[in-house]
Amino acid sequence: MNEPVVVRNLRKTFYDEGRGEIKAVDSVSFECHEGEIFGLLGANGAGKTTTLRMLSTILAPTSGSAAIMGHDVIRNPEGVRKNLGFYSATTALYPRLTTRETIDFFARINQYPADLVQERVDYLIDRFALAKYADARIEKLSSGMKQKVSIARTIAHNPSILIFDEPTVGLDVLNALDVQETISELRSEGKTIIFSTHIMSEAERLCDRIAIIHAGHILACDTLAGLRQNTQQHYLEDIFVQYVKSGHATQ
Amino acid sequence: MDPKAIGILYWREIRSALRDRTIVTNSILLPIFLYPLIIWLVYTGMTFVSGQNEGLKSRIMLKNFPASHETLKREFERDQSVILVTSSDPPADLRTGTLDALVEFAPIQSALPTANNFTARITYDESRDASSQARLRATQKISRYRENYLEQQALKVGLSRAQYQNFWIDDRNVSSGREVGALTVVLPIFFIIMLAVGSMHPAIDSTAGERENSTWETVMTVATSRANILVAKYLYVATMAFTAAFLNLFAMIFSMGTVLGPLFGSNLSLRIPLASAPVVLIGALLLALFVAGGMMILASFARTYKEGQAMTSPFYIALIIPVMFLQTPGVEFTPRIALIPVANVMMMIREAFQGVYHWRPIGITLAVETACVILALRVAMLVIRHEDFILGSYNGSFGKFVKERFFR
Repeated sequence: MNEPVVVRNLRKTFYDEGRGEIKAVDSVSFECHEGEIFGLLGANGAGKTTTLRMLSTILAPTSGSAAIMGHDVIRNPEGVRKNLGFYSATTALYPRLTTRETIDFFARINQYPADLVQERVDYLIDRFALAKYADARIEKLSSGMKQKVSIARTIAHNPSILIFDEPTVGLDVLNALDVQETISELRSEGKTIIFSTHIMSEAERLCDRIAIIHAGHILACDTLAGLRQNTQQHYLEDIFVQYVKSGHATQ
Repeated sequence: MDPKAIGILYWREIRSALRDRTIVTNSILLPIFLYPLIIWLVYTGMTFVSGQNEGLKSRIMLKNFPASHETLKREFERDQSVILVTSSDPPADLRTGTLDALVEFAPIQSALPTANNFTARITYDESRDASSQARLRATQKISRYRENYLEQQALKVGLSRAQYQNFWIDDRNVSSGREVGALTVVLPIFFIIMLAVGSMHPAIDSTAGERENSTWETVMTVATSRANILVAKYLYVATMAFTAAFLNLFAMIFSMGTVLGPLFGSNLSLRIPLASAPVVLIGALLLALFVAGGMMILASFARTYKEGQAMTSPFYIALIIPVMFLQTPGVEFTPRIALIPVANVMMMIREAFQGVYHWRPIGITLAVETACVILALRVAMLVIRHEDFILGSYNGSFGKFVKERFFR
């Protein structure tokens, strides 16, 4: 298990009063290589967020296992979180803290060395061009600025693994491109990134490997070139549709 | 437990809270200004009404006035606040309000030398302020006249007033330094109310507020245990409750001293014995921890601030009810009372303010409150084990949750 992210037969079952038992994630397995962007591509309700929530230890798996940098998500959730930056549309910022306080807080609570925190905060403020807004409260910032601070807080403790769960949802084109660019830069710095999306063009542009997830199952996992070769389709949209249809047929 | 992580989370909560208008208003400004202001307004209003009553003219009818006490009649006539009237049907006039009081004199049949004795029966309507005021004025006038009359009678036989009366009651108050007046009754009530008010908004803010702002999941992904997160939030809510209660206590003492003291004169002592501080502090601390726990458990099932307010309101009322009940005169701080959470601390604080310490009930109180705090924490730890609660996807109250998860 030398890969930074290893997922084996992960399952998650929910119980709903109306619908009974729901298998949100069913036998999902994959590995992420160091320094790559691993895409999790699926429609809404495919099981992307549930999978990522299990990896980030918010949810406990019903069965199966997952490890982040060698730390098991069940046995050592704190070790996992220390090595992980989790970003999603549902992980907002504290509105009454300033930009500087926000980054400082997340660096400290995620156990970044105390004597280096100040330096790290200054670096991130500089990196994301937040100096003008460093002492402004989050609630006063524009959506684009909040997005930048959100990414800064995600990497405040300099984790090796980053999870971006549909990071561009609700953003305008320019801000979405900014986020994509940042994610790309983070890969160049050696971070291992799991990137979930339902937008084909994003996956096409960013991901080194793509896993197509549907109804809780991973239907395919390969590079874009590999997926093209397997399906004889050029566009990711067509590839996705073909896998989903054949997935349905198999089920 | 990681004290360092708890400290980081705790100060984040405090920092955010001190920048929130609702929390600052309810946990800091309200305890300092509102209740002292309300008390000041109430007493000012009472003084104003009392002043208005002083200006009222009392219509009094004197019936069968004894001729040998002409001086008393002259005093009634001289009094600017009294108008002597006559009535053919006094009961009807009292009912309609055209007469305020009827004073009927009747001689006492006695063989004693004090042949001028009489009884005075005052008929009035207590439902009318003017009538009650007329009765008071008539009573005071007759009592004053009797005192002078007795003194003169005593002088005639060569005795002092005291010797003439033979029996005398001499009151001596030994409560110096431990006030038994309004302060010790009012302060514990406000203390409990302020603990509840002070904890309510922080409890909602740190739970339902986080869900509403979508920061709940953010904090669940930080590299520390959920127990640390829970403890930090809990300490924050307890701090705000404790702060609100103590700010209110000091504000009340200050405002009562400067504003109300002169109104009540010596009847309102504002001394609280310094020796009561440890008992008051420990009691308040345990109560703050218990109230904070209760508020947080209930508020944490809410997904919005409004839901949080609705879910914590019953607890707030439940805290106030025993406090109101214990205002009944004659209720003592007994071991049985010490078994009732919240009420026990209120009684303990009330007695401590008076400089009275019943150690057995105090011991029981501290044990009961500690048990309540432990129970609240245990319940909280049981609740956070449930994923749907952590995710905020559980749709229901604490009561529904307990019924579904623990009694099915």
